[in-house]
Amino acid sequence: MSNPATRVNPVVRPATGLIPSRVPGSGGGFFRSRAVQIIGLALIFVLGLALPYLGANSFTISLTSTILIAAILASSVNFLVGEGGMASLGHGAIAGAAAYGAGFASKQGWDVGMQVLLALGITLVVSFVYGILSMRTSGIYFLMVTLAVGMLIFGLASKYSTVTNGDTGIANIARPDFLGEYWQYYYFVFAMFVVATAILWLVTRSPFGASLRGIRDSESRMRSLGYSVPWYKVGAFMISGFIAGLAGLLAVWHTHFVSPTSAGVERSIFAIVMVILGGVGTLLGPLIGAAIVVLIENVLSSYVDRWQLVLGLVFILVILFLRAGVAGGIAKLVRRIRGRTTSPSGGGSPPPGVEPASNSNHTTARKETA
Amino acid sequence: MFTPVFIGQQLLNGLSFGATLFLLASGLTLVFGLMRIVNMAHGAFYMLGGYLGIVVSALSGNLLVGLIAAIAVVGVLAFFVEFVLLRFVRGQELPEVLLTIGVSFVVADICLWIFGGDPQQLPAAVRPQGAFTIGDFTYPWYGVFIIGVAILVGVALVIVQAKTRVGAIVRAGVDDREMISAMGVNIRWVFTGMFIVGAALAAIAGTIGAGRTPILQGVQNEVLLYALVVIIIGGLGSIAGAAVGSIAIGLIDVFAKTWIPEFAYFTVFLPMALVLVIRPQGLFGKAA
Repeated sequence: MSNPATRVNPVVRPATGLIPSRVPGSGGGFFRSRAVQIIGLALIFVLGLALPYLGANSFTISLTSTILIAAILASSVNFLVGEGGMASLGHGAIAGAAAYGAGFASKQGWDVGMQVLLALGITLVVSFVYGILSMRTSGIYFLMVTLAVGMLIFGLASKYSTVTNGDTGIANIARPDFLGEYWQYYYFVFAMFVVATAILWLVTRSPFGASLRGIRDSESRMRSLGYSVPWYKVGAFMISGFIAGLAGLLAVWHTHFVSPTSAGVERSIFAIVMVILGGVGTLLGPLIGAAIVVLIENVLSSYVDRWQLVLGLVFILVILFLRAGVAGGIAKLVRRIRGRTTSPSGGGSPPPGVEPASNSNHTTARKETA
Repeated sequence: MFTPVFIGQQLLNGLSFGATLFLLASGLTLVFGLMRIVNMAHGAFYMLGGYLGIVVSALSGNLLVGLIAAIAVVGVLAFFVEFVLLRFVRGQELPEVLLTIGVSFVVADICLWIFGGDPQQLPAAVRPQGAFTIGDFTYPWYGVFIIGVAILVGVALVIVQAKTRVGAIVRAGVDDREMISAMGVNIRWVFTGMFIVGAALAAIAGTIGAGRTPILQGVQNEVLLYALVVIIIGGLGSIAGAAVGSIAIGLIDVFAKTWIPEFAYFTVFLPMALVLVIRPQGLFGKAA
């Protein structure tokens, strides 16, 4: 990487000041944060499996399911913003569309197989539309397009009442018989969370993921390398949208109910709030963020009336002082304890162009073209 | 449903809704044009302005007093948001947007705390009352009043921007921040001032609009989305664009809600999606 051009032209990071300089699997010293990640993952895995045996009651289990479902949705947003630099305010609506797919099938009296098929089919179509409409935008404009498409879906859900029952929503949506008990469903959701996380992790580690990071760091450079940037974005959106749709299906099976609120802009905002709180681009961030938001929304709200105020303040403080989110903050802390303060991480806008992260991204990207 | 009288009334309904939208969207678009911030708290400013306008004008019996109170309080809040919070994240697109989302949460919840959850409307006593009649055609004066205020504000904005020194500084700031700073203008204060002006416009829209549609929880997101649609269609940063976009969306929305209620939102957001795809900079915007 002694190519002078790389040094002279600083890599412009469009769209965000949120992406941590260290992406998983790149840059010096990643092993340590990886070790932390693995330990964290193993802990969560064991804890997740053991939870029903730890004397947790049905409320706690059910709440944990809610957290996991929210975490799946947040992971889908996290993938897009962390790897692709695309902050979406429309993922809540994708999940909502999937939920409506299942709801419509259930309303017609079709069986569970049709629910799944319709939910995931609608998800793919909707994600494709999102992708096509947003593929030539980035930054704020991407945010706006996703917001607009999200509102379209919300509008249909709320007004197209012959199909969606309007503001009443669709109730009594049954989940498969073998998942009837709350703990059975919990394990199912847990498994789905693991699968979704694994899928996103694999995609992140793949050449496709590397190209995506290349696009995030310098769209023009990737274009001049011969990448069809818009279609990479569509692809990324499809993957992310599919995971979001999965979250929507799980949510509707969890609550047996879907209404326009499930597709509303607040859901999308909450999803991105979770991502930021947890830490953009981290593996465990979405889970941490989802836990914080869901707990504030469901538990704190029964003690304090002003839970939204608390959520807003927490959010503002995280953006101001903990830009890398909770997970990023922990990783930073661990590194500091280990005396590893060589490379700054997770700060607002790291000095561009001199990062091991961005350079190694390009190396990977080039390998792939060769 | 298709009589001339009905269509005429709907036309005026659309225009008066468009006028409210213009008051709201012009603030949003001015702030974006200069500072490159999409202020997601703009809807919350509208809501807070609306509540304050309602309460104060009900207490004082005077709409103007309510309006001034709304502008003052929202202006101070905007000063705080810009001066204390946004400076931390200056120049970072996404954190800026997300920060204003956080502000919106907080402001909306404080409004719920203080003003409660019931829908509130501007008391009839402080509004211009009655209706005018031409043959079969009657229309409340208040709708006309809203249109008048919007025209007044719009003309004032255009004159200030085109003819005054402050306007020249702002225009220069839009075109080239570094250059205007190099010429000795403290662009930070221009930013702060513009953010306050934008918020004040939202407060005006809230107070005036509260006579048309009630203020309640959730309205902040709805009006924000309408305003976003308007400025995206019109072109971010352009007052003329905001005017055209407001009128178009106001009319489309009102007529769509009467004729094809099932697709009411669709008719508003579809044009926006199309504009974003075909002409991302908006009808009157400059290429980014």
